[in-house]
Amino acid sequence: MTNTQVPAVRPRAATPAADVSRPSPLRTRGTRLLAALFLAPTVVGIVVFTVVPIVGSVVLSLFHWNVIDSPSFAGMANYREVFTDATVRVSFLNTLVFMVFAVAAQLLIALALALTLNGRMPGWLRSVFRSAFFFPLVLSAASISVVMKYLFNQDFGVVNWLIGLVGISPVPWLTSEHAALATVIIVYVWQQFGFSFLLFIGGLNNIPKEVHEAASLDGATGLRKHLHVTLPLLSPTLLVATVVGVINALQVFEQPYVLTNGGPGDSTRTVVMVIYETAFEQLRFGEASAVGVLLFVLIMAVTALQFRLSRRFVHYQ
Amino acid sequence: MTDSHLARRTLLRYGAYGAGAAALAGTAASWDRLTGADIPGRDDGSLVVATLGPAYGPEAIRTLTEGFRKVHPGIKLRINAVQAVDWSDFFAKILTQIAAGTAPDLVYVATEGVQLFAQRLGVPLDRWVKRDSAELKEYFADVHPSLVESMMYEGHLYQLPVEFNAADMYLNRQVLRRAGADFPAPDWNRDDFTALLRAMKKSSGSQFTPYFWTNRLWGGVVPWLFAGGTNLLSESKAPGGSWLWDSFYPAAEREGRGGGFRWTTPQATDGRVEETYDYLASLIQEGLCTRPEGGNGQNLVGVFSTGRVGVTPAGGFWAGGLHLAGMQASGFDVQYFPRWRTQRHQFGAAGYALLRTSKKQDEAWEFIKYAARRDTLMRLFDTNQTTPARRSMLTAARYAESGPKHWPVFYDTLDKFPDTGPIPAPPQVAEVTEVLLKYTGTALASPRSVRPALRRMQGDLEKAMERDV
Repeated sequence: MTNTQVPAVRPRAATPAADVSRPSPLRTRGTRLLAALFLAPTVVGIVVFTVVPIVGSVVLSLFHWNVIDSPSFAGMANYREVFTDATVRVSFLNTLVFMVFAVAAQLLIALALALTLNGRMPGWLRSVFRSAFFFPLVLSAASISVVMKYLFNQDFGVVNWLIGLVGISPVPWLTSEHAALATVIIVYVWQQFGFSFLLFIGGLNNIPKEVHEAASLDGATGLRKHLHVTLPLLSPTLLVATVVGVINALQVFEQPYVLTNGGPGDSTRTVVMVIYETAFEQLRFGEASAVGVLLFVLIMAVTALQFRLSRRFVHYQ
Repeated sequence: MTDSHLARRTLLRYGAYGAGAAALAGTAASWDRLTGADIPGRDDGSLVVATLGPAYGPEAIRTLTEGFRKVHPGIKLRINAVQAVDWSDFFAKILTQIAAGTAPDLVYVATEGVQLFAQRLGVPLDRWVKRDSAELKEYFADVHPSLVESMMYEGHLYQLPVEFNAADMYLNRQVLRRAGADFPAPDWNRDDFTALLRAMKKSSGSQFTPYFWTNRLWGGVVPWLFAGGTNLLSESKAPGGSWLWDSFYPAAEREGRGGGFRWTTPQATDGRVEETYDYLASLIQEGLCTRPEGGNGQNLVGVFSTGRVGVTPAGGFWAGGLHLAGMQASGFDVQYFPRWRTQRHQFGAAGYALLRTSKKQDEAWEFIKYAARRDTLMRLFDTNQTTPARRSMLTAARYAESGPKHWPVFYDTLDKFPDTGPIPAPPQVAEVTEVLLKYTGTALASPRSVRPALRRMQGDLEKAMERDV
């Protein structure tokens, strides 16, 4: 079988000695100015719309502010409040559980469908499937959730009507503490897997046919070929899909907000829902910012962990 | 040598950059805070009135602006219809506008937000009401004192109510016929109600739920708490208000009135509250009503009008809603909420609150008066999308096309049951509502869940009420 084991980190190309003596075009004053000019809109955009709000949130988390009165310095009081708040703790737990199951399901479904579509199939049919799988992603999460709320209604929903035809009793999809989170995950995955699917399709197309042919010549077939050839070569794409999926899942809001409003009890309340409710319904912007900062730290930590682990599992060609 | 020379030059250059940045930051800091109102064209000198978008369509907005312009040609008016899913969402958006420095002058506020706005943002209307008392006599004579009292806070009046909705009981006539049941009497009680639900269930298929309710502050558990002779928070009345009652209402009607409601101590673990939840849990267990999370107002019209629901609590607003959905006037009817220990009903009212930040307070008062006029409300509420606060507007002609047959129930609720009161909405209303909705879901998961959930609800309500808004 073809050995696909490649170094985890791509070695840097050695700089030719001749280049050192010759000044790079980028080092001339005019070119640098031009480069700065091209970069400026992006840099300004990132600073204004990303850096400033992040810094602003961190600062606001140290203040009490209710929008109406002037902010007053609170030190770490908001963080103390947040750490002792049972709802915040539950929301972090819910979000982590949601993230694990939603991302796993999203990646598995997307990968399975991408591999299926990558096999022998008429071109037009492949296009139909690709569009169909990607379509939910371009729809608004809120409007999808409204429709899904009707479909999964315990008393009047189509889903229970359909399963009732085969003799199954109505399932409390959105009204049971155990089923509600699962239903939110189902709706989320249904909408989101199209993104990972598209990445996998692109990744699969980039795998040279020769590698598969060589593997076939070595006697690899079916699942074995996918496990030892396709997956290692798809691992950079898998990393991107996982990182993006995890970041998105940790920020989930629309689906649980519309489908269950966090209930029953707190069983589907997520961190971003708590941020929204604390800030815009209870007018405790400082505490909401503290929760936001904690979520930011969590996302950074999980992403860093993924990149660290990726050194062992991701293979670049 | 060369290296150190270069480093010094670099150091000087970065020093210059730093000084420039500091100068820029200093200049920016010395400016007054920029707000949304500084955006050119944003503040055109108009009197800005924020309304809940879905409640006021384009036609209503045109009616308000054009009518007001005729009466006050010198006042420029802009209606800002804020799109929101409910009152809580609406208030959040208004507060965001205030934070952005683009606060409206007037905000359409329902009972849910009356005390929040009164405590932190509102201006009492007392001085204008006293000044224009002669002009307002006709208004107060036409509006029930309970509605006016619900707009008072600590002895001051903050809004003139223009609409209200009491939680009465709507019944589907087709479902009643199917069950072989008569239309209930005005003094029906909780046992009659339960028996009716059982009869409806027995005579209908699996895709039918006799009683549909929505888990929210208005029309959810609270009407049952009222009927059970209790409330979520202990209720009392603030002193004061006699300046208004003595001026506008006869002795019989001002008896027992005060300066507005006070909701202070949570009482979720009160025996009567537990009993109310036990009753609702038993209805759910028996399959006679929807679970709290299952019911939402969005699909209610559809399931009621197609006979998949028999009974639901709603106010006068539903007459217009069902008519618009194509339901015949003979297809439904309305009755009072059933009696349990009491037959006290709950209601919510709405009117315009004047914000402290407004620089056009006198003009705003003129709009408040204009919006409460009978002719204005006649044009505004011509589709029965709510119950007008003015008694004289509720006529047979108004309900001839839309129904229901027993339309006098809407206003008579206030007369027949004088203890009928507003939903409990202290200034901490957002958190109170959130706690109520959350633990109502948990409490009604099973009959055994009621007590533990109410204990936790009590704890969270106590925390919420301790917080300063």
